[in-house]
Amino acid sequence: MKKMMAVLLTAVLTVSIVGCGDSGGQSGEAAETKTEVESQAGKDSIVIATDVDMDTLHPSDFSTTIEHTIIKQLYDTLMYMNPDGAHDPEERIAESYEISEDGMDYTFTLRDDVTFHDGSAVTAEDVKFSLELYMDSEYQGSQVTGLESVEALDDTTVVCHLSNPYSPFLLGVCQVPIASKAYYEQSEDDFVNTPVGSGPYKYVGREKGSKITLESYEDYYRGAATIKNVTFEVIPDQSTTAVALKTGEVDFAMIESSVIAQLTGDNSLTVEEVAASGFTYISMNTEKEPFIDPKVRQAINYAVDRENIIAVCYDNEAEVNSNICSKERFGYSDDQPQYTYDPEKAKELLSEAGVTTPLDLGSILVAEKYSNLATVIQSNLADVGINVSIDVKEFNAYIDDLTSGNYTITALEMTLDGDTQQLEMAFISDYIGTANNARYSDPEMDELFSQARAETDNDAREAIFDQIFTKAQDEAIYAVIGNPLTLYAHNESLECKEIPFEGIYSIYDFSWK
Amino acid sequence: MYKYVAKRLLYMIPVLLGVAFLVFAILSLTPGDPGSIILGITAKPEDIAALNAEFGYDKPFLIRFFNYIGDVVLHFDLGTSYQSRQPVINDILARFPNTFLLTVLSMSAASVIGISLGIISAVKQYTALDQTLVVVALIFASIPGFWLGLMLMLFFSMKLGVLPSYGADSLRHFVLPTITVCMTSAAGLLRLTRSAMLETIRQEYIRTAKAKGASQKRIIWKHALRNAMLPVVTTLGTSFGASLGGAIIAETVFAMPGMGTLITTAIRQKDIPVVMGSTLFLAVLFSLIILIVDVIYAFIDPRIKAKYENGGRSRE
Repeated sequence: MKKMMAVLLTAVLTVSIVGCGDSGGQSGEAAETKTEVESQAGKDSIVIATDVDMDTLHPSDFSTTIEHTIIKQLYDTLMYMNPDGAHDPEERIAESYEISEDGMDYTFTLRDDVTFHDGSAVTAEDVKFSLELYMDSEYQGSQVTGLESVEALDDTTVVCHLSNPYSPFLLGVCQVPIASKAYYEQSEDDFVNTPVGSGPYKYVGREKGSKITLESYEDYYRGAATIKNVTFEVIPDQSTTAVALKTGEVDFAMIESSVIAQLTGDNSLTVEEVAASGFTYISMNTEKEPFIDPKVRQAINYAVDRENIIAVCYDNEAEVNSNICSKERFGYSDDQPQYTYDPEKAKELLSEAGVTTPLDLGSILVAEKYSNLATVIQSNLADVGINVSIDVKEFNAYIDDLTSGNYTITALEMTLDGDTQQLEMAFISDYIGTANNARYSDPEMDELFSQARAETDNDAREAIFDQIFTKAQDEAIYAVIGNPLTLYAHNESLECKEIPFEGIYSIYDFSWK
Repeated sequence: MYKYVAKRLLYMIPVLLGVAFLVFAILSLTPGDPGSIILGITAKPEDIAALNAEFGYDKPFLIRFFNYIGDVVLHFDLGTSYQSRQPVINDILARFPNTFLLTVLSMSAASVIGISLGIISAVKQYTALDQTLVVVALIFASIPGFWLGLMLMLFFSMKLGVLPSYGADSLRHFVLPTITVCMTSAAGLLRLTRSAMLETIRQEYIRTAKAKGASQKRIIWKHALRNAMLPVVTTLGTSFGASLGGAIIAETVFAMPGMGTLITTAIRQKDIPVVMGSTLFLAVLFSLIILIVDVIYAFIDPRIKAKYENGGRSRE
């Protein structure tokens, strides 16, 4: 019996040790760098590192960035829109589109020379099928919000009928990968595991937990890609990725700011900083004292030293911005109020609000990965007479408390990408309990967002967003710190023509110098 | 002997059930549900509920547990991953060979290095060689695995460019991870072998053997080592088992797809079928290894063999 207990305990111990997570360390040591830049002429393959493995290549039921990235290489979309909203959509599978007067019907006319990797033609039926996959998907269904039905008029004409005018629809529908209906009907398993796409790269194979290989589809309608073979290698540890980039084993990788110091000194590598809409912010529970009073929230906004937080927690790889709308996004304007570091002003506002300092606010709730953020904020708040302790929780436990409003003040990062309309999740009352962490509820704000949703005229829409963000800043609903940059390091000889806003790149745009 | 082995195999059933229940309970009682972890904070509550229902996660804990055990026992089905929606056994079979090879390589290297140097150290007690070995072993036993791994990588992959820094494609890829895992274990084994040997050497029967005029070689190999090996084999067995699931650090640093990284990722994603499947798989292996170690005892030590043959009762 004793021995049995010992075995049991040892087994449980093993599991719990395994569960303790991988805090792979970073070595501060920057070893000698290779200075010679090897000529890459004639090279037609690329190795891309990813920190996590992909789990699925289902075109609609995926959830991670790496899955999105690989699906983007395998599948083409109706049109391409850089999600910053500043560009007109470019034609892809659809050569033109038309929006009806009432904003309820979107008609796409398809090219007739697009083929799937098995050689069959991409038809309107496939587009209908792909959009319907999205409508039914719990994972990506929000991309086609408002879509009621899809109709294939003939082989090259598709009409999307909306239930209400919904202006972000065009951007959303441009994200839908067009997949083959016939292939899906043939075998659902193959559809997910050995996908046949419509994009510039074909799926070749994968080794679980290790690599995924793709090759160029020679009959791609925009001309075959210049880089023929693509390998995604799973490298969980950032320090290893940094070494592999330096040895040339890896050509391209998304990196964290913590390893950037090791890489910038190496002239065989180039680091790209890509703007993204994700934001780091302090959320204050507007249902709880003292944050019911906007003056106190403004005081917090003045009390935080954003430059310092970004220097300490992001190695300066983030853009300072107190506005929830990032600068590249549609609807942002420099005229919308910005908060800067001003502890004196913060103290004034606190006394105007009738807050007597020192104020004991209890604790700042954070998930483990944001604990350094909390430390800096704690000292900023102490400077204006607000004392908080730091309460660190495991991520899932944290999310439970956050969404149920069981906190007073917290700091975290959030991504509400896609159309600017997505930011409604942070403000409107329908999202209290999910992404509206401030639990802010204001009928006027709800109304403004519903106007923006239905407005099809771009200028009018921009004016509505201007009103929204001005209001959000005036009332200091959140204390946004800034927008972390997405960082990529790649071989200096690799030319990356465009890495779009938000960073879901297309290898088709890459080439070797 | 056979009866003993059969009995031990039967004991494995309650052990495995216990492991399964504990892990299942811990995973189910910690906060977070697979639906909201997969879909994220911006998902609609009804989508999360629909996904959880699809996984069967909406049912009460005990019903889920018995369903799971039922599938495992009756259909030999370890379930389907929440994340990849593929059979869990595929994930395990894709990764286990790497972990197994890494474990076998590093444990063999560790035992050869650790035991032989341990014997030398004990025989040459208090010489400069002994003291150097003890200090070096202490250093290696204290170095964190990820640091050693990174240093090896910086030196052999980056500076010399002779070995790959990541992956598991060929035996060359296993060199650095093997050294990383082996050094810590070898250091431990060296220290253990040394102290076990020293203790044995001081025993009366060794003095008797010396007095009889037996050669030094015969005393070390025949009289001392065999008795000193018992604690060493025990440690070897448990650390072999532990490193099957525990080479996580080497697997993470050297990007080697193995069981350790599989389980850590799955725990974070609350992919219960994957965690359960891998844990049970490792628990079975672990129990078998412990059993093998116990059987090996019998060959090393006739006293234990006699005990086994007596149905577990001591003859004294």
